[in-house]
Amino acid sequence: MISRVAESCFWLHRYLERAECVARMLGVNRLFLLDVTVTPEDRWLPLLTVSGEQSRFASLFGDSAHLDGELVQDYLTWNCDNPVSIATCIHWARENARQIREVVGLEMWETINAVWQWLQNTRTRKLYYSDRDGFFRHVRDTVSTVHGVCHDTLLHDEPFDFMRLGMLLERAGQTARALDARHHMFGGDAADISAADAPAETAQWMALLRSCSAQDPFARWVRGAPTRADIVKFLLKEESFPRSVLHCIDRASNFLGRIRSRQKSHKGTELTTGLARIVEPLRYKPITTILEEGLHDELTRFISGLAEVNEGVGSEFFGPGVPEELA
Amino acid sequence: MPYPSAYDELFAADGSVRPEVEGPIRLLDKLGRAQFKARQRLADSAFLKGGITFSVYSDQRGTEKLMPFDPIPRLVTGDVWARLSRGLVQRIRALDAFLGDVYGKQRILSEKRIPRDIVEASAGYRKQLAGIVPRGRVFVHVAGVDLIRGPDGSFAVLEDNVRTPSGVSYVLANRTVMKRIFPSVFSQSAVQSVDAYPVRLRDALGSLSPRKAGEDRLVVLTPGPFNSAYFEHSFLARRMGIDLVQPSDLFAHDDKIYVKTTAGPSRVDVIYRRIDDEFLDPTVFREDSLLGVPGIVKSYAAGNVTLANALGNGVADDKAIYPFVPEMIRFYLSEEPELAQIETLICAREADCRRVLQNLGKMVVKAVDASGGYGMLMGPTASQPELAEFASRIRANPRGYIAQPRIELSTCPTWTGKSVEPRRVDMRPYVVSSGEPWVLPGGLTRVALVDGSYVVNSSQGGGSKDTWVLEASSS
Repeated sequence: MISRVAESCFWLHRYLERAECVARMLGVNRLFLLDVTVTPEDRWLPLLTVSGEQSRFASLFGDSAHLDGELVQDYLTWNCDNPVSIATCIHWARENARQIREVVGLEMWETINAVWQWLQNTRTRKLYYSDRDGFFRHVRDTVSTVHGVCHDTLLHDEPFDFMRLGMLLERAGQTARALDARHHMFGGDAADISAADAPAETAQWMALLRSCSAQDPFARWVRGAPTRADIVKFLLKEESFPRSVLHCIDRASNFLGRIRSRQKSHKGTELTTGLARIVEPLRYKPITTILEEGLHDELTRFISGLAEVNEGVGSEFFGPGVPEELA
Repeated sequence: MPYPSAYDELFAADGSVRPEVEGPIRLLDKLGRAQFKARQRLADSAFLKGGITFSVYSDQRGTEKLMPFDPIPRLVTGDVWARLSRGLVQRIRALDAFLGDVYGKQRILSEKRIPRDIVEASAGYRKQLAGIVPRGRVFVHVAGVDLIRGPDGSFAVLEDNVRTPSGVSYVLANRTVMKRIFPSVFSQSAVQSVDAYPVRLRDALGSLSPRKAGEDRLVVLTPGPFNSAYFEHSFLARRMGIDLVQPSDLFAHDDKIYVKTTAGPSRVDVIYRRIDDEFLDPTVFREDSLLGVPGIVKSYAAGNVTLANALGNGVADDKAIYPFVPEMIRFYLSEEPELAQIETLICAREADCRRVLQNLGKMVVKAVDASGGYGMLMGPTASQPELAEFASRIRANPRGYIAQPRIELSTCPTWTGKSVEPRRVDMRPYVVSSGEPWVLPGGLTRVALVDGSYVVNSSQGGGSKDTWVLEASSS
């Protein structure tokens, strides 16, 4: 398929995924803060950290601005200069879709266009102020609708594979960053403390799980009283959970394999091995070892490895230019 | 209020509904005002949801405009349409022959049926293309012929538009919306379907491929999402099931065109290009074009890629060549023209030019290479300074202008938001050809939404209507 189109497919789904993650994270955090006491530092700052916007936000609004929950929410929802705000992500998702309307088809285009138009509407601004929870919920719901329409109306061929690849790589990164932002909760000795022994912190764990849509699946999966190690294990390693890092990377590998199998010229296998390499420690190290050696370090390694993979996808598929032998 | 001396598409002079379109009009009337308004709103929201827009993206947040749509259809009977179609087919065959001749042996020039100097002075005539024969000898793959209807109710051709005519996507989109808002009217009215267009176009393009069907690659080439007709480019690619490409996706090598794909370069065989000649290849035409594909003209000349429409068609769209189309029909086809056209004075001719300058206030003057309603003077409504300015422009460059009498365009009942009033309309049917022209039974009816206006262009306050071509009577 045309490289430019493949790139739009990839980014369309990365932006959709980002918008959904930001919406879920904001919605969960708001409700969580309503009945749990946490330090002012811990209220909104982790959200800026997860989105990688901590320093830009501080430089725009000042060093203590992260204490202002309304400002943080506004920044992550509406700010056009923030590359990961919901409004920016939906704008670029739609713009990518607009450039490949012939590929996404009418039904999928209309669902994406509808989310964008909904965000432009002044009534939506009013909803944001009158029913914040409903607002974030609507963003999540409509992105889910787009995914459903995509899955059920598009040909499951190369454009679809690039969309899924983009979505899965983005999702793996989001889960990893969500966990990383709370890594201090999972430090050394505290790992095997069960929820029952630390009721005050249980709410925080649950909020983390909810922000990854993991609360119910985790409850069904975990045996006995959940420990912190269980939560980390679930989000990192549980292959049956669709947002776990390992699940996302394994599926991304499959889609990469499908993309390659369609192409006559088999190029290098760098990307596939790159993906395998970055998840290897997560796959084989026992969770206790990961926690002992330091969760933050492990996740940092993974996140920077993932960035390299993303660049690799770009240079291999999207920006090949004119090959030398034909120039 | 009806316009004096204009033909109305739906109502006779005495105010009664024309009997030939009475059925559907009665059905629409029966809906009543409240229903009608509700369905108008439904139509607007359908266009918005579909992102069926035109106009440019000027900033990041963008401004996409909806083409104003009028829900009252324009109706054409099957019998009238059949005659029109014959005339259109004849015209496109003659124009195709003319283009082949002008870039070939130039018989029509050497036999002095068309003055050589007028052809050679045309901005659309590209002598670099002499001797290049496009595949199948087809130049005009798609035409969007502008027709107007005079006071006596007869149709006449205003422009042929054989370069890259746009608007057909609105014909199809308008129809989809009309079916949704007036299902019952449709089901009882025997309106001919317009759905065949993308298939016909794809077939026409595919039949002119340099390589075998199934092994070949057809694409639509767009300047990009900032182009005002981008919606249409993407719409046609989607409905034809072929790739939409931008110039930077393509490159030429060894007189062949390739597209950059995720699996490396892949050969392209047919390009339905929506970029004008002069921007298409910076190595041949405008050097400063950023929209072009360097080397594409050489590949085309070598016969390794089919371009639709062919290169060099602009000469046939020149408004100073237009007066000679009837002559082309007689010369190439040995037939008499079936469609009338507007009497035209060519300022390049001294006698004509004198007449134009003496009667400027009564005429419509047009720049020969302009379109979209730009570069023209409406004599009857122009101010003295405007007239004087145009007169000096004509004197400075007579070859650049033609003049026509102002035609009293026909009107069609149109919803103004409050009531139904007559507004002037024209009509653009579409012709697809890979040798044998085919006319889409429908067309874009453009309407001047401003009371009294003659300007129907969407860039200048025009809107569109669905055009219902009824089934021909069996008698």
